Amino acid sequence: MTTIDEFVSLVQDELGLDVTPEDVGRSLDELAGWDSLHLLTLATLLERTTGRSLVLTDLLEARSLERIYAVAVGA
Amino acid sequence: MDASDIRLLSAGTALPGPPVDNVTLARRFGMDDLWQQWIDVFIGTRTRHLSVDLDTGETVVSLADLGERAARRALSAAGTDAADIDVIVMGTATPDALMPATVNEIADRLGIDQIPTYQLQSGCSGAVQALEVGRQMLAGGGHRNALVIAGDSCARHFDLEADLRSLPPAELVNVVLFGDGAGAAVLTSDPAPGTVALRRVMTRFTGRGRAPGQIVRWFGQADRAGRAAGIGEAAVSEDYKAIEESVPEMAAEILAELLDSLDWKDTDLDFVLPPQLSGRMTARISERLGLDTAEEITCVGQTGNCGNALAFFQLEEVLGLLGRGDRAVGIAVESSKWIKAGFALERL
Repeated sequence: MTTIDEFVSLVQDELGLDVTPEDVGRSLDELAGWDSLHLLTLATLLERTTGRSLVLTDLLEARSLERIYAVAVGA
Repeated sequence: MDASDIRLLSAGTALPGPPVDNVTLARRFGMDDLWQQWIDVFIGTRTRHLSVDLDTGETVVSLADLGERAARRALSAAGTDAADIDVIVMGTATPDALMPATVNEIADRLGIDQIPTYQLQSGCSGAVQALEVGRQMLAGGGHRNALVIAGDSCARHFDLEADLRSLPPAELVNVVLFGDGAGAAVLTSDPAPGTVALRRVMTRFTGRGRAPGQIVRWFGQADRAGRAAGIGEAAVSEDYKAIEESVPEMAAEILAELLDSLDWKDTDLDFVLPPQLSGRMTARISERLGLDTAEEITCVGQTGNCGNALAFFQLEEVLGLLGRGDRAVGIAVESSKWIKAGFALERL
């Protein structure tokens, strides 16, 4: 996973959430169906995909998919 | 006699194995620190006890083992001999076998024979349902002492080979929520002074037209052979969003109904025993109940959600705290098909 488009595909395919590239900047509170279990599932997928260990507190501060992506890739 | 005069003499509990903390659970499933941190923050359950040996994967404790231990503790605390029990009622969602009923295995081990025994197929409201059946059996006359047992073992659902990274959320949540345990209580129709009266018990199905919040399936020989419909479905799944949304409100409704039926005010309560879903959910429910003057009795942080047994862990603690004239209310919600349950206690 090297681009945000691939990240969006990951969210669509693995989490089953109906998100588009336009949604990545939205607050997570505005994402239909998003909850803490999706955060866990996504975080473990990102760790496996990127090979980087993530820390929950960093992810909790990320309030959009875009920010989660940034944390995951270390941007 | 009036059911509101039936006395709750004692409660006893049993847990299998040592407490399993979130770090140990995460490592056993090959998960990292992030997973353990997530359980701490979002589930809020610190430990649970499991009937499975995490090293070997073997089931080392049965539900009958747990039920027997809990029953012996309750009988001992009540000062009641097993020979004086006239009826046994048990609640569980996870019997050791569908037949014989686990209640009868436990009765046999306790040396009890020639009395009526009942087993309810129940979930988080099972302890309350079993208490009510026992209470009404005593109130109806013909029986003096009832042994009520409830418990669960998730051993057969605890798949140590599961890849948690690939589990959907509705199944993943079960790995971290549940623990195993059993509880028991002794009820009597003898209205001795200083004992605790089980003033009110309510248990009501409220799920007409509503999809289940939790499903536990069972599988038989045709399923094993892959021929039956539904074989590909998860053995246990939860609509955790519906549960998060509904249970706090249902708990508040149960509390209001119990208080109203007894003409008690919320400030009359000395103790409250809220539903024990998880550390985090129970905290949310307690906040919704808003009982600022009642001491909360909560166990799920240490025991995990052990289903049918939970109310007995709370009862065992509160019975040691209830002073003369003190009042307590216990609340349980079974999200399987949305059952409201609760009870009210008063030490005379």
